Amino acid sequence: MTAIPAIREIPARGRNTYDPAVVRADFPILSRTVYNKPLRFLDNGASAQKPQSVLDALQNSYASEYANVHRGAHFLSGAATEAYEGVREKAAGLLNAPGPDNIVFTKNVTESINLVACSWADAHLSAGDEIVITEMEHHANIVPWQLLRDRKGIVLKIAPVEDDGSFVLERFAALLTEGTKLVSVTHVSNVLGTAVPVAEVTRLAKDAGACVLIDGAQGVVHQPVDVQAIGCDFYAFTGHKLYGPTGVGILYGRTDRLAEMPPWQGGGDMIDTVSFEKTVYADPPMRFEAGTPPFVQAIGLGAAIDYVQALGMDAIGAHEHALCAHAMETLRDVPGVRPVGEAPDKAAIVSFVVDGLHSLDVGAILDRQGVAVRVGHHCAQPLMARMGIESTVRASMALYNTTEEIDALAAGIRHAQKLLG
Amino acid sequence: MDLSVYEDYAETLEALDDEMRFEYLLDIAKKKRSEPFPEEAMDDAHLMHGCMSRVWILHDVADDRHYFCGHSDAAIVKGLVAMMTDSFSGLTTAELAQITLDHVRRLNLGALTTQRQVGMMAMLKHIQKLAGARPGIQAA
Ligand SMILES: Cc1ncc(COP(=O)(O)O)c(C=O)c1O
Repeated sequence: MTAIPAIREIPARGRNTYDPAVVRADFPILSRTVYNKPLRFLDNGASAQKPQSVLDALQNSYASEYANVHRGAHFLSGAATEAYEGVREKAAGLLNAPGPDNIVFTKNVTESINLVACSWADAHLSAGDEIVITEMEHHANIVPWQLLRDRKGIVLKIAPVEDDGSFVLERFAALLTEGTKLVSVTHVSNVLGTAVPVAEVTRLAKDAGACVLIDGAQGVVHQPVDVQAIGCDFYAFTGHKLYGPTGVGILYGRTDRLAEMPPWQGGGDMIDTVSFEKTVYADPPMRFEAGTPPFVQAIGLGAAIDYVQALGMDAIGAHEHALCAHAMETLRDVPGVRPVGEAPDKAAIVSFVVDGLHSLDVGAILDRQGVAVRVGHHCAQPLMARMGIESTVRASMALYNTTEEIDALAAGIRHAQKLLG
Repeated sequence: MDLSVYEDYAETLEALDDEMRFEYLLDIAKKKRSEPFPEEAMDDAHLMHGCMSRVWILHDVADDRHYFCGHSDAAIVKGLVAMMTDSFSGLTTAELAQITLDHVRRLNLGALTTQRQVGMMAMLKHIQKLAGARPGIQAA
C-alpha cells in the first residue's frame, strides 16, 4: 500500500511560541531509535535531517514531474524547469539577493568556493595578490586558495582567532593592504560556533578594495542572512545542512561580479551557440552550470527553504540560541569538560574536550546512548593546531533539538567518564 | 596454525550481547594498562597512518614467528588493537598471509561501526606488511 502523504499544515510564520515537539513531528527520522534508545541527533553541523515536506518534494518530482530541465519541448520538461527555476527565486528570497539571476546552483558549498577560485579569482588575481582567510576555516575554504596559490603565486594571509575562539576585527583589519584582492571568511565556524561579524569584515575589505566571499555553510542555517545588507560579493552555502537533500549547493554572486567571470566548466546548458570555430557562453547564472544540474535535489532544497522560511529564521535562531546557552551552562557543570570556543557571539555549535578521555571514546560511548555527535578535527586541522588539540567532540544543534537532548548529552559524558575512568 | 587466542576472543564476543561487547572491549583496553607500551616507540616510525586516533604498532620476530604489540590514544581503538595483536602474534609469515577479512569480521560482530571494521582491516594489512606477509608490498 502506498502511503498518501498527508497535506501538511505549514506552521504560521512568526508565531511566538516555538514548540520543538511540534517541529520534531515533521522529521520522520527523529522518531527512530538506535541501540533501542531514542535518537538524539546532535550532528547537524555535518548534515541536518529532512522534514517530510522535503521528502515529499523529492518523491513528487520523480513520481509526477520528472523530465530533464531546459531541454524538452514537452509538458513534463516544462514543469520540471519551472519548479527548478523557481528555487532560484526561493534561494534569492532566503538571502535577500536582488533576484534569481544572482543564484548559481552548484553541488555543495565546496564547489561554490572552488567555482569562485577557478573562475573569478583565476581571472582577476595574479602573482603577489593577497587573499585573507581566517584560522578557523573549513578545509573547503583553505585548499581551493592553496591550489590557486600554486597556480598563480598569490599570497595567503591568515587572520587569527583568540584563545576563546573570538574573532577580533582589529586583528583582521591589520592584515588588509593594497594588495588584498579577496577576503574569504566563514560566517560561522563549524568547530567553535564563532559568528564572524561579516558585515564589518565586508566593510573593511571593501575599504581596502577587496572582493568578499562568505562561506555560509554554518551561517545560513542558524540566522537570517541578508547579502545586500552584508554587502558581500559572494555568499556560498550547501543544501544538505539546511534540511535539504545532498548534491545541491548555492553560490550567490553580485550581478557585476558574475558578469565578469569566465566559465569554469564547459558543456551543455552553459552556452548560447556552439560551432567548432566559436562558442558563445550563456549569461550568468547558466554560464556556470554545465551539464544536467541536480534539479530534483534543487527542488528538494526549495521545499527546505519554504520550510525554514515558514518557521522563520529569526524564530529558529532564537530557539537554537537558547539551546546553545543551555548546552554551555550544562557542560560547564560537568567536571573535566572543557569547551572549545566560547566567543560571546556564537551560533549553536558546541565543541569540547574531556580531560583524560579521547574524543573518539567519548563519541562512541555517547553513540551507545543514542546521542549522535561528531568527533575529530572537523575538516579544520589548522584550527586544531592553533588550539593545541587533536580533536574535539562537537554537538551541533538544529531547529528540532531540545534541552532534554542536551541533558542526555551531559549524562552521556558522565557515563563515559565512569566507564573509562 | 595456532589461533587459540583468536578463538578465545571470537567466542567470548559471540557469547555477549551488543552492549556487553562494547564494555568487554573497554575492559581489554583497561587490562592493557598493566603492560605499558614503551614511550620511546610512540614515534612516527611506528605510527599506523589513516586512523581516527593514533595507533602505534611494534613488531618483533623470534624463531621465525612474528610478535606484535600496539597502542592507541583512544581506549576503544586500543581494545581493538589489543585483540588484533594478541590474536595474530606467534604466527609465521606464511600463516599470517592466510588471515583474511573473515577472521577480522569475527572480532567485530556488528558491535562496532563499519568505520572501525575498515580500521581493523587496515590494521590487519599493516601487521601483514610489517611481517612481509603481503607479497609485493613493503612496509612503509
Ligand atoms: C564552514 C563549512 N564550510 C564548508 C563545508 C563543506 O560543506 P560541503 O561538504 O557540503 O561542501 C562545511 C561542512 O562540512 C562547513 O561546515
